[in-house]
Amino acid sequence: MDHRFQVSLRGVIDLLSHHLYSSPGVYVRELLQNATDAIRARQLLEPGHAGTVRLELMEKQDGSPPTLLFTDDGVGLTEDEIHRFLATIGESSKREALEARRNDFIGQFGIGLLSCFMVCDELLVVTRSARGDGRTLEWRGRHDGTYAVRASEHPLAQPGTQVFLVARPDMAHWFTATRLRNLASHYGGLLPFPIHLTTGQGTERLDTSGAPWRREYDSASERRKALLAYGRELFDTDFVDCIPLRSTAGDVDGVAYVLPASPHFNSRQKHRVYLKHMLLSESAENLLPDWAFFVKCVVNANALRPTASRESFYEDDALAAARESLGQSLRGYLMELAREDPRALQRLIALHGLSVKALALDDDDFYRLIIHWLPFETSMGMMTLADYRRAHPVVRYTSTLDGFRQIAQVAGAQGLCIINAAYTHDTSLLEKLPHAVPDVQVEPFSSADLPQSFDELTLDEREATFPLLRMAESVLAPFRCGAVVKKFYPAEVPTLYSSDAEGAFRRDAERAREESDDLYAGVLDSVMAASGSEPAQLCFNLHNPVVRRLAAVADRDMLKLSVEMLYVQALLLGHHPLNAQEMVLLNQGLLGLISAQLGGDGGRGGEGSGGAGPRGLH
Amino acid sequence: MSGDWREQVESLFAQADGLADGESKVRLLEEAVRLADTHKDVGMGYRMRDALIDAATFGGFPDKALVAFAWCRGQQKKDPKRFDPEEMFWKQKWVVGRIKEFPHITRKQIQDALDDVEQCFKATDSGVRAVLKMRYQAAREMGDAAEEVERLWNAWLETRRDHLTDCRVCELDDELDHHADKGEWQQVLRKAKPILDGRKSCAEIPHLTLGTVLYPLFKLGELEHAREIHRRGYAMVTKNREFLSTVGEHMEFLALTDNLSRGLTLLEKHLGWALDHPSYRDRFTFYAAAAFLLERVLAAGDRDVVSLRLPKTFPNHQADGGYDVRALHAWTLGQARDIANRFDTRNGTDRFAKLLARNQVLAGEVRPFPIEKRDQ
Repeated sequence: MDHRFQVSLRGVIDLLSHHLYSSPGVYVRELLQNATDAIRARQLLEPGHAGTVRLELMEKQDGSPPTLLFTDDGVGLTEDEIHRFLATIGESSKREALEARRNDFIGQFGIGLLSCFMVCDELLVVTRSARGDGRTLEWRGRHDGTYAVRASEHPLAQPGTQVFLVARPDMAHWFTATRLRNLASHYGGLLPFPIHLTTGQGTERLDTSGAPWRREYDSASERRKALLAYGRELFDTDFVDCIPLRSTAGDVDGVAYVLPASPHFNSRQKHRVYLKHMLLSESAENLLPDWAFFVKCVVNANALRPTASRESFYEDDALAAARESLGQSLRGYLMELAREDPRALQRLIALHGLSVKALALDDDDFYRLIIHWLPFETSMGMMTLADYRRAHPVVRYTSTLDGFRQIAQVAGAQGLCIINAAYTHDTSLLEKLPHAVPDVQVEPFSSADLPQSFDELTLDEREATFPLLRMAESVLAPFRCGAVVKKFYPAEVPTLYSSDAEGAFRRDAERAREESDDLYAGVLDSVMAASGSEPAQLCFNLHNPVVRRLAAVADRDMLKLSVEMLYVQALLLGHHPLNAQEMVLLNQGLLGLISAQLGGDGGRGGEGSGGAGPRGLH
Repeated sequence: MSGDWREQVESLFAQADGLADGESKVRLLEEAVRLADTHKDVGMGYRMRDALIDAATFGGFPDKALVAFAWCRGQQKKDPKRFDPEEMFWKQKWVVGRIKEFPHITRKQIQDALDDVEQCFKATDSGVRAVLKMRYQAAREMGDAAEEVERLWNAWLETRRDHLTDCRVCELDDELDHHADKGEWQQVLRKAKPILDGRKSCAEIPHLTLGTVLYPLFKLGELEHAREIHRRGYAMVTKNREFLSTVGEHMEFLALTDNLSRGLTLLEKHLGWALDHPSYRDRFTFYAAAAFLLERVLAAGDRDVVSLRLPKTFPNHQADGGYDVRALHAWTLGQARDIANRFDTRNGTDRFAKLLARNQVLAGEVRPFPIEKRDQ
């Protein structure tokens, strides 16, 4: 008797192949999943039943498409169950329905079979239930939606299920010995029972030997060696270390491998995950907490829900709990390194500092344990926070790279040790320090703080440099910049330009304003009027020979020109782009200096030959 | 020499590309821009600003996005062949869509910037719907007459979508505000359902939505659902200052449900963002919620001082971490009131004063509901 499906099977197959599955090859996974479920169900009835799966590829001499026979000795189906799985197929046209039915044995069986229609037009299922009356039934279904159920003329000797697939001509390449071997090992490599593959070349047993992390090893180092070798084989990477993973939530276990290089932030690690020992996905992303991007994992989960596509886990409370406890496994590993093998921890930090820092920000205990091992760039070279604090009672840092550049050279020469905390998380980590460790002083530092460490002038020097200072003040006032004269090291640095972060932003806005028409010029004026930046400051260094000589120059034009040029030079050294007005200074100043050289004798700016503009041309 | 700085710019760009949205990324790109400008390389300056606008927009620095865009817009006007305005239409939308959040920008400047967008879009015969949505949002946020806001709302939704329209999910999220304004709580939830179920998402959705629906859920008494939304939503916004106002919504929810300790944890964790946040609208939402929270702590009446780890940049920072609740309340309320005044003065309306007055209504609605699962 022929029946008809209640739905257009075409639509369902289309849904599966175009929207759900990433490749037609998953039909092997789905059949293996069905076989696994069936064997597990039979083991519940008959403890001790070992279970075997057989794949037999029958290639035709005449070149017509091959047939695959897929056999398991699992629990089999009763007639009633056959009708139930057919009902599932009927309901399967919606993704949500698929997802729900995945979780029961029969539902999964039906959906699994549907995936076969991606590679063949006709399916024959022959089955005998371990729970039924001993009859063997067969179901023959076609992609057009017709099917027939009848008692089989070829009864099976034992309970189990056989699925016959005749390859569709355009899909015959999914039915070669190599493909089948690869696909079956790929998806079923962790299964705790054998898979036999029979082809024209004979019968072979595929390597399915259970999860290597559950095996017994002679020693810890043997274990480590074996697991690292397994990792290399899976991911084609030489990992630095392996970390056991375990979570009661979701019943998850496996191994996390420490990557040999820092991963790119955006490339979230793709993990290899098995569900009840069947490969679910090689690119699961939602398994670990965000901070843990320094490892790549292989795990098996027995109690997490797969998504409809069976290619990742469904985001629910169980997964959240599992993620939390896998994170704890990794955290435990890092804590142990910090206690037992700080050198290894430091190597790990060198590679994966970002992960370690991200965790430390969220986790106070972990923070206290590792913060002093973290290396920081300072104005006196790289050092760990422990070394830093040994030599410097107050922790000082700049939170921008620009800010650090402006001060690093001078601070270093002045014996000031300042941390460059511009790298991700560093500022937050340092600001957390006083809350985690009692009695530590932590202070932000900027170029504006530097002059406080500089030596004041003597009274004589003060008098001698006064004309220079007055000139500098009047030259720099239009640029919102003040002037001071002090003494600092290194002596080669003639001036230091300092401004706060707001000041740099203000300069950005000024440049944008120069490029803008009425509309945005007005908007930017408002932005600048609202910005609360302190005026910048140019600090002259009296230790510098040029500045010393400049203080003695009597020619006011020469003095003005020199101050302007020192100002522009200080800006450029500090990577501050020049605005239009400052560009004018630079251009006129260069011309002025050249004309001073040409017009004056021996380069001493005398008789009004120095100065800006066309004066040299008269 | 010249190859040297170019490599440096590229390396800053690559570093920034490897970072999540946030301050570090913005700082790196600012530096790349400055380096390009130092060497007067307009093309490079344009390209780096192009990336900076994105990073600043999605990292909580709309003022920096504005300055970078203004520079680019200047280049486009000078040389539209080389710097095609069309390629920056989306960024222009982001930037202009937010300038109303700066109280120092005048109404006229906001209107002019919107007109500029309209002119630009018109030149390519597209973007009508996008502009109408921006006009609706500007009118709504500046507290314009209800009929005008309603007219723009209808005009927006009646206009045909095109390639300059925000994605359906973002538009859906924006529609929610309209219903929340009118107290149509059921409607908010009905429309938000596909987002809440996780079937639809975008760069900042559901992050924003999960904050928007808290009060509607609270009003409808769906407290368990609200608790789940709070847990899920707060985790998504805790790392990016772009979501300051959403953090405010979570804080308000915690105060409404009498989870005061949890609320104070949010206050101490995010006050640093509010102190120097460029969006005064976001600051306002945060401070108003903080004031409500502290008012609840005062109302509980059992303590005058709370221990908080507030950032050093807080003007009344206490080294020992002990803060007088009354003083802290007065300070946050003062901040919210100042901002409200500035906006209302600029807008010539009283919307922000009304928003602040809402705190008194909330005080009468408090309904304790524990967020922590109590130990049995």
